[in-house]
Amino acid sequence: MSGDSLEEALTTRTANAPPELLSRSFFFVCAALSIATTIGLIVLLTTEAAKFFSFSAPLVGVTGETASVVEFLTGTNWGPTEGNFGVLSLVSATLMIMIGSSLLALPLGVGTAIYLSEYASPRLRGVLKPGLEILAGIPTVVYGFFAIIYITPALQPFVPGLGTFNILSACIVVGIMIIPMVASISEDAMSAVPESLRQAGYGMGATKFEVSTGIVVPASLSGIFSSFILALSRAIGETMAVTIAAGSTAQFLNVLNPAAYTERALPMTAAMVKLVGGDVTGGGVAYRSVFAIGITLFVITLAMNVISDLVAQHYREEY
Amino acid sequence: MATDTTTEVAGGFGQVSRTVGQLFRYLLLAATLFGLVFVTILLVYVANDAIQPLTADPGWHLTFFLALVVPTLAAGAYVYRRDGEAFQTGALAIGLAVVSLMFSGGAAMIFADIVEPLTFLAFLVAVAVPGVVTLAVVAYDDRIPFLGQFAVTVAAFYLSLFGVPGPLGAAAGISSVVPGVFGLLAGVPLAPAPWLLAVLSVGLPLAAVGGSLVARDRGRRARLFAGAGILAVPLAGGIVGPFVGVDPLPATVVASVGFVPPIVYAANVAINVPRERVALLIPVTIIVGALVGAFAVDLAGFAGPQSWVDWAFLTASHSNTAEDAGFYPAIGGSILLMVTVAVFAFPVGVGAAVYLEEYAPDNRFTRVVDVNISNLAGVPSVVYGLLGFGLFVTYLGQPDGTVLLGGLTLGLLILPIVIISAREAIRSVPEEQRAASYGMGATKWQTVKNVVLPRSFSGILTGTILALGRAIGETAPLIMIGAPNVTYSLPTSFSEAASAMPLQVYAWSSLYAGPNFYNKVVPAGVVVLVAVLLAMNSIAIVLRNKYQVGD
Repeated sequence: MSGDSLEEALTTRTANAPPELLSRSFFFVCAALSIATTIGLIVLLTTEAAKFFSFSAPLVGVTGETASVVEFLTGTNWGPTEGNFGVLSLVSATLMIMIGSSLLALPLGVGTAIYLSEYASPRLRGVLKPGLEILAGIPTVVYGFFAIIYITPALQPFVPGLGTFNILSACIVVGIMIIPMVASISEDAMSAVPESLRQAGYGMGATKFEVSTGIVVPASLSGIFSSFILALSRAIGETMAVTIAAGSTAQFLNVLNPAAYTERALPMTAAMVKLVGGDVTGGGVAYRSVFAIGITLFVITLAMNVISDLVAQHYREEY
Repeated sequence: MATDTTTEVAGGFGQVSRTVGQLFRYLLLAATLFGLVFVTILLVYVANDAIQPLTADPGWHLTFFLALVVPTLAAGAYVYRRDGEAFQTGALAIGLAVVSLMFSGGAAMIFADIVEPLTFLAFLVAVAVPGVVTLAVVAYDDRIPFLGQFAVTVAAFYLSLFGVPGPLGAAAGISSVVPGVFGLLAGVPLAPAPWLLAVLSVGLPLAAVGGSLVARDRGRRARLFAGAGILAVPLAGGIVGPFVGVDPLPATVVASVGFVPPIVYAANVAINVPRERVALLIPVTIIVGALVGAFAVDLAGFAGPQSWVDWAFLTASHSNTAEDAGFYPAIGGSILLMVTVAVFAFPVGVGAAVYLEEYAPDNRFTRVVDVNISNLAGVPSVVYGLLGFGLFVTYLGQPDGTVLLGGLTLGLLILPIVIISAREAIRSVPEEQRAASYGMGATKWQTVKNVVLPRSFSGILTGTILALGRAIGETAPLIMIGAPNVTYSLPTSFSEAASAMPLQVYAWSSLYAGPNFYNKVVPAGVVVLVAVLLAMNSIAIVLRNKYQVGD
């Protein structure tokens, strides 16, 4: 977005020459493709999901089995092959994954960010940051396998009633997975706090601890908060780790009950994989429920991203 | 000593307790290390399950400890004490050797089972011929109008690749009159042996690049000489291969892709950076140590570990019994997927980044695109799978689960990441350099082509490699587009259904769940997948470090 007037003055005369026009149009098409992707995503999800709900199915010319939108949004029983489409049992599992993983990842992520931005020597940072990147780069299917093979058996002696498939170990691996995200975005915000603020703190006689917790963290709060929301949205959208680790039995669980975390459950993403991966064949109402879950997921994550953006922009301290 | 800080401050200048601060610092360090240590432990576990080092003879361990580990440590310590930078160079050399060997396996796979060397050579020549035409046209830049140049270039590529009248004619119902360069060469009835063709198509370009790098300061003759010397490596691979039980074709490819880059690197250090010559002690020690160790172990009859990541695993296809199950079709599927993703996402992502950074006016459309890209980066991968399926299968009627479909879906998935990192790289090009270019009378496109893209190229490449690493580990979109969990042979074209490494691991750990698969095949698959990812990530990180230092 260069609006440099000198640059403009020097290039306007040639702006419509064929090579300029051709290259500019190519770059424009590339950029416009991202808009096309979004439009495609929205159109596709809405039309396909519309075929699923009974109120909208006639509008898109679908006759046959449909599900009521009220039942979908308020029902607590999920069994697509029996015609039960209560998405709340899936939402409850997703919420539990989100809560459990954020209990682990948010404090650790912020701690990591403070350490990297305030305490670590440049040399140590040079080692730790690529390490965290590698942590984020390990495929989620591998994390799922870790959860079911190593973490669950290791936890079983300590947690009574922990089954082979459980939400707890899914939470742990998802939490590990989103630490780098919290850490890197928060650290960016902390590094953006001007040095003069820190110097002012030291000048007042504050210790490093007081500067970190009393100046740097409050000054970068908007960035930290937006990193939280992004990480939560990532946890919600996480698919393979929870599919493998949390099991495939949908049940409506009390999100706030710690004992419920030892149960197996079916988060929304896992339900989509399960439906496409084998439960049903194309065309039926059960199949179209994939798109109904998909649009729910899309709307939730989109809303969280937008909120995170707004928070980061509106509450940013300008220096 | 450990008094409360606030009361001390309130009471005047007293002593400030360091306990809280120290505690806080160690707490933060613990938080930072938690995830890293946790995952490292898990990786050690999985590597232990997959490779089973404890099943080897103690003598095996002792031999390798004496022949490989001790000399390597000694050489490393010696080089490090003499010159820290030389140590880095040495470590890079051995890292390059490992990574190249790994990728050479993939390349050998492509030539052995997917693309015939003759087809590849024909393709290379068919691209090179119009490439030369283009260069010639561009050299006479000022005499031919741009549209003429453009038309000649496009026509040259079309004729060379497709012939007359090509697919356009086929669409109109005219049968082929004259085949293009590609068709002519690919249809040659009496071609030399495939491995010789591989020497020509893979070894020759690498040797040319390597030769001009190694002898860059010494004139054309030295460069030719060096290139010929490097070309001897793939030739030797093809000739020696059959004697050690490897087919000549894969041996040639492994020698070209696996051996040539580290050899070129080492030769470059030895010839052009005399100060760091001592660095070569490290790779030489490791290679000699490994060979001596292997020989000694063979001689003494010590049994090695019963690793599940073995030749059979890497070259067999899936089986219902864990002992026989292999990873070969999944590896091939992943390679083809990555090629498709890179071909699609790299140009489009860089193009979008260039538009947004260099061209976009500050208007509403630009802001919408801007917000849109960051939101697309947050859409769950499983939803991209729905998009791919709905768009390409339901509306465009493509068959599901093909390489092309998977590649495009994964390409769309990583596109926002590529755009965001490419924008960052482009933004880091100093404004003065653009201004200098404009000041010399360059147009916008010339500035982008000659200043912005070359200067930001390594940054763009780093971001793309990291994004490709993300794509290679994705499973959910592939499931959503209906990619088969299990395939028994390599896909031979982009319109064939293919599995991929993470998908195969998922299939093994869910559909074939059981102690046999959990303890043998799945860890082996995880080790291969993570090794590929670590290789890609380390390339990206090394590239970035070099590039940051260079700036």
